[in-house]
Amino acid sequence: MVYPEDIKNHIAQGMVCTHLQVDGDGRHFQALVVSAEFAGLSRVQRHQRVYAVLGAQMRDELVHAFSMTTLTPEEWQVKNG
Amino acid sequence: MDIQEVIKEQVTTHPVVLYMKGTPQFPQCGFSATAAQILKVCGVKPFSVNILEDAAMRQGIKDFANWPTIPQLYIRGQFVGGCDIMKEMYQSGELQKLLEGLAE
Repeated sequence: MVYPEDIKNHIAQGMVCTHLQVDGDGRHFQALVVSAEFAGLSRVQRHQRVYAVLGAQMRDELVHAFSMTTLTPEEWQVKNG
Repeated sequence: MDIQEVIKEQVTTHPVVLYMKGTPQFPQCGFSATAAQILKVCGVKPFSVNILEDAAMRQGIKDFANWPTIPQLYIRGQFVGGCDIMKEMYQSGELQKLLEGLAE
């Protein structure tokens, strides 16, 4: 069983985030990751960055589904403007 | 043939390839269903690969794009993304642009 908090801690330890939110039921998760590191990266590269941080956490038998939104602080501000 | 070579051949032979759980007719996961539905709405019939039928493929496709989740979409040999990215690109119109000329 993986808790949303575990995933959140993993991401927080691997990269600098200005906003980080992870929800889930133990098998299905949704994450909102806001980080300046995403600037200049494509969507695929942003997701790959988060997946790289999560590493073995993403194993099939642990996590069935992982949905994420990846934004830079500027994009996040526009979205919440 | 090595599984990585099989995948390489699939994504270069077919203009649109969707690796998914199940088939477009009978998807076995909500995210795969969404991905297949988006392509359908775009009028594109992908070459689809049911990764549940082949354990080597199931792991191989994750290594191929350094991407641990299914579905995965490839257009003209390029990895485009998973379900979230497909949704975003469809909503912004980018996906339709990438698929131009590939609709049936």
